[in-house]
Amino acid sequence: MTLQPTLPARVEKDRTTPPRSGPSRRRDSRYEALTGYLFVAPAVVLFLVMGLYTVGYGFTLSFAKWNGFAPNWEWVGLDNYKDLLWRDPVYAPRVRHAAANTIWVMVAAPVLTVVVSFPLAVLLNQVKRFQGVLRSVYFLPYVTSGVAVFFAWQYILQPDGAINSLLSGLGLGSLQQPQGWLGNPSTAMPTMIMITVWGHVPVAMLLYLTGLQGIDRSILEASELDGAGWWRTNMSVVWPLVRPITAIVLLLNLREALQGFQTFLVMTNGGPGDHTNVLGLEAYRLAFLKNLSPTLGLASALGWLLFAAALVLALINLRALRSKT
Amino acid sequence: MRISTSRQAKYVATALATALSLSTLTACGGSGSGGSDAKSLKMWTFKQSHVKALRNAAKEFKKETGISVSIEAFTPEETYMTKVQSAAKTGDLPDVLEVHSDGEDRVLGAAGIAVDLRDDYKGDWLNEIQRSVHESGLVTPQRFKKSQNKESSDNGIKEGARYSVPLTIGTFGIVYANKQKLADAGIKQPPKTWEDLIAALRATTKKDPKNGGLTTGLKARGPGLNWILQPLAFAQLGKKGYEDLWGKDKSADFGSPNGVKVLSQYNQLTPYWTPGTQSLDVDQSDQTFAQGKAAFDVGGTFTLAFLQQSGMNPDDVYAFGLPAPKSGAVPDRALAPMALTGITLSSASRQPDNAKNWMQFLSSKKVAAQFAQDATDLPATDLGADTAKALGPTLNSMVQSFKGTPETTYDPNLNQNFQSPGYEQNDVGDILADLSPLKRASVESTARKISNLNQSYWKAAGQ
Repeated sequence: MTLQPTLPARVEKDRTTPPRSGPSRRRDSRYEALTGYLFVAPAVVLFLVMGLYTVGYGFTLSFAKWNGFAPNWEWVGLDNYKDLLWRDPVYAPRVRHAAANTIWVMVAAPVLTVVVSFPLAVLLNQVKRFQGVLRSVYFLPYVTSGVAVFFAWQYILQPDGAINSLLSGLGLGSLQQPQGWLGNPSTAMPTMIMITVWGHVPVAMLLYLTGLQGIDRSILEASELDGAGWWRTNMSVVWPLVRPITAIVLLLNLREALQGFQTFLVMTNGGPGDHTNVLGLEAYRLAFLKNLSPTLGLASALGWLLFAAALVLALINLRALRSKT
Repeated sequence: MRISTSRQAKYVATALATALSLSTLTACGGSGSGGSDAKSLKMWTFKQSHVKALRNAAKEFKKETGISVSIEAFTPEETYMTKVQSAAKTGDLPDVLEVHSDGEDRVLGAAGIAVDLRDDYKGDWLNEIQRSVHESGLVTPQRFKKSQNKESSDNGIKEGARYSVPLTIGTFGIVYANKQKLADAGIKQPPKTWEDLIAALRATTKKDPKNGGLTTGLKARGPGLNWILQPLAFAQLGKKGYEDLWGKDKSADFGSPNGVKVLSQYNQLTPYWTPGTQSLDVDQSDQTFAQGKAAFDVGGTFTLAFLQQSGMNPDDVYAFGLPAPKSGAVPDRALAPMALTGITLSSASRQPDNAKNWMQFLSSKKVAAQFAQDATDLPATDLGADTAKALGPTLNSMVQSFKGTPETTYDPNLNQNFQSPGYEQNDVGDILADLSPLKRASVESTARKISNLNQSYWKAAGQ
């Protein structure tokens, strides 16, 4: 049925275009190939220079000792990896401590992101009016996320900041943090996780919303006819149908929790003490905040360890996706 | 015909896209020119507070020589060396660089970025500079020996070389007190001993629990250790006992009774920190003090310029060296002035003679005196009899804390020879924060942890 309108046009074209000879066809296909290569050439050149070279440079650096200034690298083989993982009495304990903190973020941030964004998307999907406005409002944290917003959060969380003032105004003074929400080691990490979630919810919510809008209405109507209420429909019908999206949300958030550190750098610098140090921040410190000690190789090695961990997580996630969908 | 036109358009588009990509790559590669032309020089600094003073000096230099100097600042400090590093790679270094003295200058020297000035910076030029910092920038036999360790960041420097000329001097461990807050608490003069300081803190926090405490940039990890604990420990234990805290001998390091003693004293500050101080970096804590949210602020001589920039009148503060304990080994402990920043000649300069003239010009008395007033900072140049007049009363009061003998003077230089190669003060600062202000660890466990970390550094250095 859909082919019918195009068929006469094709026939007409075949009638008017004279058949090409063999050499002409070959010339055309060579031109076509050449054009294709020329079009992808800039991207390939850019990738080779900016991508492959950089990645290769970083990888070789992970087997060397260098402070970024010395004229020569000192090759140390796998020493950087061994030092980070178990051997060095200074670096290995720091990496273990940062890894423990990172695991907290990796578990809590993705789970909380799903817990917040899925119900939000379900509610937003059912709103009949102002859906576009509300969607924009909920997307704001993603658009505004950046260093300036993290500074703003810092002020909000200070001892005389908005959160403590709000709690006091609501008569919940006992919940106030006299040292600020980032100044108390017990609340600093949970607070950082909440801010991470705040930044991740918008994209997750949009992904869920896209998934929800793609669900066939007849499935939902069938479940209603079978007597399922709102809760049962969402938990037993909608939730399983958006499982692939949940997998994507979890994967994106796991990767960000594993490698992201900007929020921590700006808001806590790993503190108070060393209570919010994470692996990404530790790699940054090793690279740039070691008083020009030759630790760039260690930073690079830690970066590659993070890459390996991210790769494993991605493979696990892909596997889970394949088996469930 | 149509096909041919379309092909031509495709080729033109492809050629354009390729050319554009390649031009981008060329731009990424940099011009590799470096330095500047024959009648102009470039200088970089990481100190925003020095920009105006350096530009004023540059105007005078142009009047005298016809050579203009453009001054550019790159902040924050942490990113400055990354900027220098990338500029060195792309050949875009300026002629002259302001750097942290006795650290960065030697790293740049080892990398071949800083020129050895030993044949120029001597005689009259050297004598312009205060005697106490004559060794700044110089690779002494001790520094050379330490650089031989592969863990050292300046591995590769040459013995006897001079990689920088001191520009500003100063010290850490300067306490700033808000005169009004002290007066409100019934305190008429700045504390003279550690015990007086604790008593003053008790009085000011009693008077104003929220805004009467002490602040310093604990988020930066090092200040609690470097600016408070270390000068306190030196005064309490004397030079030998202080140096032993970082030594290889576990029986005399932080885990020893001496270590426990100084940590206990440091812990006396715990009730008096301004709420949330542990979440403030150095600039934020100085702003907190300038806004009247703390009665005391600990910083360095350089802090005064920032307080002034933040709207505080220098006449409204007492500035004094961190007081020593009455019962300590060195009750009259002085703070050594050290070169804080220096100027380095870049090996990329295409007019090194003009650049050296500019550097020497900055070291001259008249220019340095004007620099001190414009930057509210202490110049490395010996101003002689004009010192008090050129510095003004508050800066001059800090200079008073410099007067002492070698045995009674605490030297705040980082990476001292008695510390292990690879020693990192911020890691110790993290442990110290758990003791005070966080109250997460006891004095004894803090002492044990710092001792273990110290021994790890020695072990990692293979010594």
